Amino acid sequence: MVMNNPDSNSVHLHYSPTAKYSLGYKGEYWRDGEYTIQAVQMNNLLKRWNKPASQANIYLKSGVGVAYSDKGAFDHEAEPAFYTGLAADWEDRRYFISYENRYTEAGDIDDFFMQSSRVGIAPYIGEYGDLHTWLMLQVDHRPEAEDKVTVTPIVRLFKGVHLVEAGMSNQGSLLFNYVIRY
Amino acid sequence: MKKLFLTFAFTVLLTPTVYAGEVVKIGVNGMVCDFCAQAIEKVFMKQDAVEGIDVNLTDKMITVDMKDGKTMGDEAITTLVNDSGYALVDITREEVSDE
Repeated sequence: MVMNNPDSNSVHLHYSPTAKYSLGYKGEYWRDGEYTIQAVQMNNLLKRWNKPASQANIYLKSGVGVAYSDKGAFDHEAEPAFYTGLAADWEDRRYFISYENRYTEAGDIDDFFMQSSRVGIAPYIGEYGDLHTWLMLQVDHRPEAEDKVTVTPIVRLFKGVHLVEAGMSNQGSLLFNYVIRY
Repeated sequence: MKKLFLTFAFTVLLTPTVYAGEVVKIGVNGMVCDFCAQAIEKVFMKQDAVEGIDVNLTDKMITVDMKDGKTMGDEAITTLVNDSGYALVDITREEVSDE
């Protein structure tokens, strides 16, 4: 999974031994603070609701690792880092809604809270194996950032094991996400 | 014409039926996207008894073709669906003949 948005670039490689959890590596570059976080991340499925035409989930996503910065006063400084947050989503084949938050602590380098929410609609309902298209709107809130609220319209294209998302925020920043699932 | 009809009828009646395998239809709740379907497809295709699988998101149904002479019990199917993260609704079985 590769995510690029106005705040950060990240790559997430993880393996799910069961549907209940996944374990993997996450590398992030935070643009404003010019630092990286290399972490082991664990995602836990806390609760899932399987309904005839919909599914809803609550996840706990946590990571622990090392933050590294050489910006300004940080002369090749490495600090222990961790983050944790909850993610919830509901979707059927036409509509999608999600909410996610995260608190990050990276020692002297940074600490912040962020949250985001998405709504989406599929303009048509595809069958299994078809190209699926979603039109989404993402709202990001970072209380400590210069632009506290960012709104990003997104197009999601999804076929087979590949999922691509592209969008442009109201600040003019590009978003590009790619997920491949084996 | 009568002769032709009788020949056809005898041919059909006398041809022994060979069962090619069992088809199991499994209703699943929570299967709303391709990633969900892929997860289920992957675990079923790992089973020795499974010849092929078809997923229908509209009907929330997976159809599993079993290999000749092979089958899977309801308990094993339920475990696979649940372990994939979804909820089993029902299981129906059909014998398919290969003439």
